[in-house]
Amino acid sequence: MVKIYNDYKDRADFLTVYVREAHPTDEWQMKSNVKEDVCYAQPKTLEQRVAIANDFVERQKYPLPFGIDDMSNAADLAYSAWPERLYVIDEHGRIAYAGGMGPFHYQPEEVRAWLTKRFGPVTQTSSTDAPAKP
Amino acid sequence: MNRFWKWTLAIFLGVLAVASAGLSFMAGSPKDVYGMVRYALPHMHRGKLKVGADAPDVRLLALDGSSHFHLRERTGARPLVVIFGSYT
Repeated sequence: MVKIYNDYKDRADFLTVYVREAHPTDEWQMKSNVKEDVCYAQPKTLEQRVAIANDFVERQKYPLPFGIDDMSNAADLAYSAWPERLYVIDEHGRIAYAGGMGPFHYQPEEVRAWLTKRFGPVTQTSSTDAPAKP
Repeated sequence: MNRFWKWTLAIFLGVLAVASAGLSFMAGSPKDVYGMVRYALPHMHRGKLKVGADAPDVRLLALDGSSHFHLRERTGARPLVVIFGSYT
């Protein structure tokens, strides 16, 4: 997504929304997260959520605009966001692209295809291709 | 127990064993099968927002932990790509 952001940030706006954790240590932890030292319990307070979101942004040097879902999980519920999902919202406030449930149906290339169809192909030769999720 | 029920039970247990082994292999481990059923399965039928629907507004917190903004504030001028996710 970072590469798509770098390619299209002059033409479209981007927003990352941090929702509740997919694989916290106290739920369904993944070996890959242990290996990468990404180990967090499911936040019980908004402060904990903010802290993890900031960790993510700092450690991944994540450049996209960022928002955090509240503890009622309003964004998660409205957008069926968990564990990860992509959307494009058009200028009229309507859903223009609705991605499937991640990780298997989380397809950044479909977002790129939408942007390409709308704005034409763009590929920057930038080196800021951080291995960032989401 | 007659022969019919013995066979039925044996086949049922056999299918269960093969299914668990298959799922464990696919998901990574028996623990992941549990995680998949417990955490992922309830979400698989969500995602009712379709193309053309009004994008719901939600209030979000900024990274500073104190200021809020609305998702819809970011829409209007240009298309908005929204990426939902978490760290883990």
